[in-house]
Amino acid sequence: MTTAPPSGTPRARSGTEVWRPRARRAMAWSSLAGLLFALAAAAVVRAWRDELPAQIASHWSGSGEPDGFMSPTALALVAVATTAVLCGLFAVIGLTQGAAASTRRITAGGCVWSGAFMAAIVVGTLAPQRGLADASQVGLSGAALLAAVLLPLVPAGIAAALVPGDPAMPAAEAVPDDAPRATLRDGERAVWLRRATGGPGLAVGAVAVALTTLAAALTAEWTMLVVPLLLAALFVTMFAFTVRVDPAGLTVRSAARWPGTHVPADEVVRASVTQVRPLRDYGGWGWRTARDGRVGVVLRSGDALLVERTGGRSFAVTVDDPAEAAALLNTMAERAR
Amino acid sequence: MWRIDPASDEPLYAQLVAQVRLGVAHGTLRPGERLPAARELAASLELNMHTVLRAYQVLRDDGTLELRRGRGAVVASTATDLTDVERAVAELAAAARRAGLSVQTTTTLVTEAMHR
Repeated sequence: MTTAPPSGTPRARSGTEVWRPRARRAMAWSSLAGLLFALAAAAVVRAWRDELPAQIASHWSGSGEPDGFMSPTALALVAVATTAVLCGLFAVIGLTQGAAASTRRITAGGCVWSGAFMAAIVVGTLAPQRGLADASQVGLSGAALLAAVLLPLVPAGIAAALVPGDPAMPAAEAVPDDAPRATLRDGERAVWLRRATGGPGLAVGAVAVALTTLAAALTAEWTMLVVPLLLAALFVTMFAFTVRVDPAGLTVRSAARWPGTHVPADEVVRASVTQVRPLRDYGGWGWRTARDGRVGVVLRSGDALLVERTGGRSFAVTVDDPAEAAALLNTMAERAR
Repeated sequence: MWRIDPASDEPLYAQLVAQVRLGVAHGTLRPGERLPAARELAASLELNMHTVLRAYQVLRDDGTLELRRGRGAVVASTATDLTDVERAVAELAAAARRAGLSVQTTTTLVTEAMHR
């Protein structure tokens, strides 16, 4: 078993650019949708302009007293500008790294969430200040803040669902001769199943949840409990995955059933073993998209199964004993040709 | 890796049983390790789920597996360590080859020794 060269090497480059129009389309409409949310909030501010104090409270100190003030127009401008910057960031990621549909979904969802979040912040901040002459006594509602974080998840989820998945792209060329194969007799069936676990995920998750719960308890702010809850949900979906290689191809799914991904056997260009350094190669742990668009389920450093896929895509998962999985996947890819 | 050869004379469930026993013998399946859910294994190998469940039951009856509701099939902590047997079999095979014995003759010798 040879160690694969770093993924994204020229071998998988044929037809690499087919995803770019799809990425451009997804980033265009999701950025537009995000901006429309912010502009709608600005329109609401305009509609309320006669009812709002000249200087509205826009920032609160830890004790709940407002300590920052600005004009309603300035708040609307800040919201629109911040949305533009956030959407721009997501769009750059989607346009440069969006080879996989999952990446385009995450970035489109991010754009929409940003705009809806800024809109919810503006509306949630200003609604209680209507009809006040002086904003110096207005409180900050934890529930409004909570709603501003959570409600935008709905349009973001819809946007992610609207991004079309990758169309079927069967590989045209045969599996390379030097790729390892599993020795299967004609008609023999085989499946490779393993749990991908390990790494710092579980420990980091437990500490993060404990600390944010403690912070919520110490500040007696119940809405703060949403932070450990969201963190717990994130870590539950990210700390363990099942990896399956069978005649259908490669299936990697979170132990929490979601998220997951499937690489059909006929889209496998080549499977191999690689060494993964989470921070250097993927910028962290969990479900990752690297700077060049490679997708990875990265739970620990070391041995990983690497699948080069049609359309210039690549997927890696850190799992023990990947040599056997790579060999079987190459054999299944060959059978699917 | 789990394999099924439908062309083999060995019944399908027995092929699974043999693989689990070999896995435990070789140490690739360790005590406490969870086997795949019968449904998942059956789907991937295009088997009837009852074929997989039958294999798991045979393995539970001989003490290789523990079947627990909700946890599925787990390699028993009492699963026999076959390392010594594996080593002896390897030596036996080498000695039989040196002596020019056929597989049948060697198997007969082993069968006879087991019945002694």
